[in-house]
Amino acid sequence: MVARYIFRRILVGTVQILSLVIAVFFLIRLLPADPVSRFVGLNSSAEAYAQAERNLGLDRPLLTQLGHYLGVLPSEGPGLLQGSLGTSWVTGTPVLTEIGQALPITIELLTFAFAVALLISVPVGMLAALRPGGAADRGVFAYSLFAGSQPEFWWGLLFVYVFFFVLGWAPAPLGVLSPLTSPPPPVTGFITLDSLIAGRPDTLFEVLHHYMLPVATMVFILSGPIIKMVRQNMVRALGSDFVLYARCAGLPKGQVARYALRAAMAPSVTLIGILYGFMLGGAVLIESVFSLGGLGQYAIRSVLAFDYPAIQGVILVITAISLLVYLALDLIHAVIDPRVAYG
Amino acid sequence: MSLPADLQRAEAPPARRIDWLFWIGVSIVSVVVFLALFAPYVVPYDPTLAAHRPSMPPPALSDWPGLWWGRLTGAIEAPPHWFGTDANGFDLFSRVISAPRVDLTIALVANALSLFLGVLLGLVAGYFRNLLTEGMMRVSDVLQSFPVFISAMILVALAGRSTTNIVIALALLYTPIYIRLTRAEVMTQRVRGYVEAARALGNRESVIALRHVLPNSLAPALIQSSVTIGFAILLTAGLSFVGAGVRPPAPEWGLMISTGANQIILGEWWPSVFPGIAISLTVFGFAVLGNALERRYES
Repeated sequence: MVARYIFRRILVGTVQILSLVIAVFFLIRLLPADPVSRFVGLNSSAEAYAQAERNLGLDRPLLTQLGHYLGVLPSEGPGLLQGSLGTSWVTGTPVLTEIGQALPITIELLTFAFAVALLISVPVGMLAALRPGGAADRGVFAYSLFAGSQPEFWWGLLFVYVFFFVLGWAPAPLGVLSPLTSPPPPVTGFITLDSLIAGRPDTLFEVLHHYMLPVATMVFILSGPIIKMVRQNMVRALGSDFVLYARCAGLPKGQVARYALRAAMAPSVTLIGILYGFMLGGAVLIESVFSLGGLGQYAIRSVLAFDYPAIQGVILVITAISLLVYLALDLIHAVIDPRVAYG
Repeated sequence: MSLPADLQRAEAPPARRIDWLFWIGVSIVSVVVFLALFAPYVVPYDPTLAAHRPSMPPPALSDWPGLWWGRLTGAIEAPPHWFGTDANGFDLFSRVISAPRVDLTIALVANALSLFLGVLLGLVAGYFRNLLTEGMMRVSDVLQSFPVFISAMILVALAGRSTTNIVIALALLYTPIYIRLTRAEVMTQRVRGYVEAARALGNRESVIALRHVLPNSLAPALIQSSVTIGFAILLTAGLSFVGAGVRPPAPEWGLMISTGANQIILGEWWPSVFPGIAISLTVFGFAVLGNALERRYES
């Protein structure tokens, strides 16, 4: 039952991703950008231009290019079906390798930020829900409205000014390790895990220190919508019939609140997952402020350099991860809330 | 049946809170609109002229009343640089108050385009349910699942960094929201009695949809507009911040923050801080206004 559900979702997801990739493929080629002149320079000779165009494969018909990218033309070498995302036009490195280096940083950033944001937001949201319209609720309402509509890159810079320049508590916003530290040998790609595996607690501490400000910036932005959502779901759960029944039955207040929390968590988990998928592409600006070198910064670099294979790779990876997160969440949702059935 | 008091209060939020937040939103938005219209007539310096000593800090807050008085009485001839100057020698105050003309125009036009397109398509998709409109909804779903910021970056960078292209990109990305909102509302309206009555009178379906269902289905989309305008300003600023938005030296808040970003780790806070406060307040103003309108509509 569950296995069949998962299988069907993955099948549908694959079709979605494939159509998205094809759509993006045509979209970026339809736009009037000229990557060739970006690479050879504006004043190059016609021969140099034609040569570069041939090297990038842009002289061939669009459908041949697509076939090459997808890997359905055996004579052209591996493509998407063989698990290759092509090579970056800027660096000449396979896109998969580059994304493999950038993605763990973004995932670490997001995971830390979500963990901290949840630790703060869930109790605060519950507190606000206990007395709707009370002082705590009004304060929380104003905060979530404010934090949910802020330029995160500016707050990041502000934090840098205060905590790096004025107070000196944070390291300079230049990546996840200071330039003098040698990175731990890569095993998982996640630099926190790798420093643990290598048995270097000082490196781990340094990485966490570098993550401090970007995570704080993201928590500030994220906690607004999360608090709002926890509050709403909690108010709804507290107003539902089963809570009324539990109260009438004379159960202690703490136990009633626990029941309500479980019912409130289920829809929250789904929304948090959607937010996670959204932030994969939304962390761009924070990564750029702190030069973290994650997926978002890779996206900026690729877009500004007209690096088509890299752009396609970024979109593909972000959508694929979002879909997987949604699937995982729907499964978790069914575990938390027994009323949900696999449809 | 009587519920515990706190549960009843959860259904109806207190009215007072709505009102003062609403007025904060209205005042912020009015100031921004005023600046968008009249900033060229009130700026002390040309916002695109780099003619001043670079990286001058703003005057200390305690000097402001004196400077102000001096300006009023004519004792000080040149207007002071209230917000200092940036590394290129632009007067920051002039740039900050000139930016609404760029930012707000982009946001308003993009929102108007996507509102028009989204409401029209949403009306068609909600009123005439067939294979074609269902297919359109799937396309709209795919568009909505794109990572917004990266898509905007791709569209603007590859189409060319111009104001027009930013507007088109934002309009495209925000249209699906309006399609979805309007379609949902139209679907609840089309089964109402007045639609049946209009049909019984012999009106054509297209007339019923446009003349009767459309005006009754506009509210959710119009309320969303305020929020969308705010987010469009954020997105415009973000695009300029990473170098995929408007071109310098246009006075634009995100661009100004990005110019100041290199100086802030050296302690020059003012080139980034002042435009940031402006964005922060503006977007908050639109968010508050949208929220207040939404509550008003629901009650």
